[in-house]
Amino acid sequence: MSVFLHEYRPYSGRTTPLWTRPLVLARYGLAEVWSSKITVGLFVLSLLPCVVELVMIYLADNPVARLLILRGNPVLTINETFFLNVLETQCWFALVIASWIAPRLVSFDLGDSALPILLSHPISRFGYLLGKFIALAVSLSYVTWIPCLVLFVYQSYASPQPWMLTHLPLGLGIFAGAVLWIALLSLTGLAVSSWVKWRVIATGAIFAVVFVPAGVGGIANAILRTKWGLLLNVPVVMTEIWQRLLGAPAFMNPRLELPNFAMAAVLALASLMCVAVLNARIRAREVVRG
Amino acid sequence: MNPVNDTIRFENVSKFYGEVLGVNRVTLTMSPGITTLVGPNGSGKTTLMNLMTGLVQPSRGTISVLGLEPRNATEFFCNLGYCAQFDSFPRGLTGFQFVLDSLMLFGMSEEDAHHLTAEALERVQLDVDAAQRKIAGYSKGMRQKIRLAQAIAHHPRVLVLDEPLNGLDPMARAESLALFQELGRQGMHVVISSHILDEVDRIADRVVLITGGYLIAQGNIHEVRREVRDKPMQVLIRCDSPELLASKMFAVNHCVEARLHADGHGVFVRTADIDQFYRLLNDIAVEGLVRIEAVAPADDNTNAIYQYLIGSDGSAA
Repeated sequence: MSVFLHEYRPYSGRTTPLWTRPLVLARYGLAEVWSSKITVGLFVLSLLPCVVELVMIYLADNPVARLLILRGNPVLTINETFFLNVLETQCWFALVIASWIAPRLVSFDLGDSALPILLSHPISRFGYLLGKFIALAVSLSYVTWIPCLVLFVYQSYASPQPWMLTHLPLGLGIFAGAVLWIALLSLTGLAVSSWVKWRVIATGAIFAVVFVPAGVGGIANAILRTKWGLLLNVPVVMTEIWQRLLGAPAFMNPRLELPNFAMAAVLALASLMCVAVLNARIRAREVVRG
Repeated sequence: MNPVNDTIRFENVSKFYGEVLGVNRVTLTMSPGITTLVGPNGSGKTTLMNLMTGLVQPSRGTISVLGLEPRNATEFFCNLGYCAQFDSFPRGLTGFQFVLDSLMLFGMSEEDAHHLTAEALERVQLDVDAAQRKIAGYSKGMRQKIRLAQAIAHHPRVLVLDEPLNGLDPMARAESLALFQELGRQGMHVVISSHILDEVDRIADRVVLITGGYLIAQGNIHEVRREVRDKPMQVLIRCDSPELLASKMFAVNHCVEARLHADGHGVFVRTADIDQFYRLLNDIAVEGLVRIEAVAPADDNTNAIYQYLIGSDGSAA
């Protein structure tokens, strides 16, 4: 019989609040994501349109430049439509970046069987996903609402007339539209990456999840002679949402416009499906015996 | 201390993965010290460890670790260190970052985490230069060490180690066993599953035998051996006249086998009644015809118990 000395002392120092633990995973997630040169390359590429748009705002707001370069042509107007185009461009870049980043955040952990190690800490599956979600959302923010709002602020500064106060809803619309897209994209990216462990396939699958239903919806529209198939068309649904949030003129045939509640329901349903997939896939253990 | 708060308890625990049996109706209690989980591949050892560490929930029954249940995640996991058998790590981290990251998930401040990381790395004898390299470039032995460092860094009271000796060279194995022994003596719960029975046998305070998801035996190794009554115990007696001793032993009913040791200076005796055997041995010693130098059980170890109760084919005997 052993003699137990009972001199072992567990850690009794102070600990950080529980809500900060997902931030540890977010921090390491960000470090992992941004250690890739491809991520940096995609980020730089996604900001190039913003540089062009910055120059356009400068030209539009500077009478001398407008006179010299545009020869006084009023074709360049900075309004809701301009910012809708900016937001759309950045949000589709965000899709490309999410399809690259999300598998790095989740597929690697699943492929390397790292979940049992991570989940044997005082962090729940929700906490784990929250950390990954934060890392993805922060990364996507760099290419969506942050550059868009920088352009918005620059336009407010460069405009000869008081512009910001009269266009405040536009700024809020840009932010809300981008955040909505980031949330949807992050959930979709994490869910697909948790389902498909092979990173390259996961990247393709994220694109497929966004664009394949659009084709199905188009077929449904053609066969059933209805407009409701458009609800499966994520690009159309999101562009309509952004257009309404920014207060830009409608671009769709009024007959084909979708009601707000239907679009909200589709987004909610898509999010719930992603949550269900994550709930099924993010587990400490698969069937392992030994 | 309240015994409930100082033990790991399984009460009628079953775990099914769909239709696949993990473990069935397991009831056991583990006190501080070193407990070895022994069983063939697929016997349910890892499931038992996953249940203990809260990574899977039981289909039936209750588990308490030092009076804590996994749903009280913060306190539960802070008291528990887990070293998985899989060679898996979050990608891209150095050994130091891996342990530091783990400690910060336990809620340590960055300053404390740095201090505890250095302490853990020292305990597992992983040098500082190696700790600053990426884990992807580690040898198997170094990976075992960094996993162990991660499991002990936050000073848990229960350490669950799934095959911690796999891939370690003899020197590293000896160092790891010494560390487990030290932690066990200090009053920590160390639960080890290992196939290297000879080595864990030397340090284990008790053994849990499991096969096919069912608990076969648990307790102190010697006590378990004594309970295996249908297998006569084997004792090695070192003496100057093994042939004479063997003939005297055969004169009584309970001795079922006597075999001379290869070096001719001892005899292995199998007996169905160990108490009568020792009484007889005393009488022989008193007679003075045989000079007895040493007496030691020859099959009073985990390996022998495993063979008797589970068998080499993995099915319970």
